[in-house]
Amino acid sequence: MADFRAVLVLVAVLAGLALFGPLIAPNDPTAIDIPNRLAQPGEVYPLGSDAMGRGILSRLLHGARWSLGLAFLVSTIGLAIGVAVGLLAAMGGRFADWAMMRTTDIFLAFPDLVAAVVIAGVLGAGTSSLIFALTVTGWMRYARVARGVGLSLKTRGHVVQASLAGLSRPAIARWHYLPALVPSLTVVWTGMLARAILGISALGFLGFGVQPPTPEWGTMLLDARVHIRSDPLQMIWPGIAVVACVLSINLAGDALRDGLAKRGAG
Amino acid sequence: MNDVVQLFLRSAIVLTGTAVVTFALLWHAPGDPALSIAVARFDSAVSDEVVARIRAEAGLDAGFWAGFAHWVVPLLSGDFGKSSVTGRQVWPELLDAVRLTVPLALLGLAVGLALSVPLAIVAARRPGGWIDRGAVALASFGAAMPAYWLALLLILVFAVKLNWLPAFGAGSASSLVLPALTLGLGTGASLTRILRSSLLEARGAAFLPALARRGVGSRERAVAHVAPHAMIPVLTIVGLELAFLMEGAVMVEVIFGRPGVGSFLVDAISARDFPKVQGVVMLTAVLFVTVNLVIDLLYRLVDPRIGERHG
Repeated sequence: MADFRAVLVLVAVLAGLALFGPLIAPNDPTAIDIPNRLAQPGEVYPLGSDAMGRGILSRLLHGARWSLGLAFLVSTIGLAIGVAVGLLAAMGGRFADWAMMRTTDIFLAFPDLVAAVVIAGVLGAGTSSLIFALTVTGWMRYARVARGVGLSLKTRGHVVQASLAGLSRPAIARWHYLPALVPSLTVVWTGMLARAILGISALGFLGFGVQPPTPEWGTMLLDARVHIRSDPLQMIWPGIAVVACVLSINLAGDALRDGLAKRGAG
Repeated sequence: MNDVVQLFLRSAIVLTGTAVVTFALLWHAPGDPALSIAVARFDSAVSDEVVARIRAEAGLDAGFWAGFAHWVVPLLSGDFGKSSVTGRQVWPELLDAVRLTVPLALLGLAVGLALSVPLAIVAARRPGGWIDRGAVALASFGAAMPAYWLALLLILVFAVKLNWLPAFGAGSASSLVLPALTLGLGTGASLTRILRSSLLEARGAAFLPALARRGVGSRERAVAHVAPHAMIPVLTIVGLELAFLMEGAVMVEVIFGRPGVGSFLVDAISARDFPKVQGVVMLTAVLFVTVNLVIDLLYRLVDPRIGERHG
């Protein structure tokens, strides 16, 4: 339990940075300052400045809003699509189940990051393509879990009674299926959130994601890569930001899963 | 038997679906594909006539399903079409790229196995011990590490600071070391995690104390009973690792400037060379569907209960 609290604090800090980070950023993240380009860490630029003289710390803090905010959006839209598909499969007839699950198979037939690269690249670089690409490739795990839990509920007494009592299907979905889905889908959601952060920065690094001059961690790494010989610190900071976020979200997910497993067993 | 037929049918459906989804994506991509082909071939000053001819030639003028058929029918006999930029056949170039990526992926997998198998075995021997905690921490860290950042860190240490290895290119054998290490460390992290938990699960199986009481030795228990039990998760891992290696290869090839399937794909996307993009997508889809089909068939061999449950 102590572990879980520590992880919770970590996640709260990250969320706080994404929400309020831009308020405490010391510089304007897009203001170009050529005389002070590639500055060493100092009073004006606490972590130094990049090749255009933009403060790295400020770009990291503003970038948190992009990386974490977009990841939140992408994994939540994916959740909505996945739950809809999974419940249609579980509650509908045999044909609905077959059709929904084969559709899921088609989207699972491909490594999701590669698919996201293709989709975002073909649709043209930009934030909306990025959101579309990561959502389209990120709903299948929710669908499978939702269907699995849904099927196990179908023959349970209270669900059968509710349908015999004439409760409509949407109402049964709302009152009997959705609450039962919350624990397992929360665990899937944390995993997909971490995956989305990695996906957003990977697409940014390839140049298919959020476009400059918007500060985003992947594009910051892409910019920093050129200066690996002269100024290696530039590529250290955004990398640490990505790893710290993904690691703490993964740990939170693990703690959540273990907690739920214990509750289920005890 | 019916069950096996269904598996094959399902694979065919998935491949058809992938082809339709891919074609739909490229069909709805912004910009006029015929115009971009024309510009790529003849520079900016092209007449409407040329564009119209290219549109007809590429099967783009007859609607979605006609265009789809124009692409898919030759594909069924192995004809991947011609690059819309260079006009050369896609397949020979794609095959060359595959030949360059396969050694990288295999070497990465070998590094990953060499790291994870011993680590997982030692860790699972004493769950909760310090080695186990260390292995779990390493695996969690590895899972959070983006391949491109790991690659940059390795370049920084081994190419820039120590100057031991080249940071770029694909000429020599030494240029393969850092890319393979990047892939191997990432693969190793996820493999350690899965192998460790599958070993722990197999060790905790209820039949083991019973076997021990009947006088079956610990070595025989491990070889004849624990190992087959741990086989099912291993089969699942093979499918997952393939996806991981493919994703890793894309990033690693781009960062290290290596030719291969990954850089072939990224270059094709940037050049809007859709026949090439379609080629990589379909080849990957065939590979994944085949591997998953084989895995599903093997599951039925290892554990007869699976076939019964679904059939």
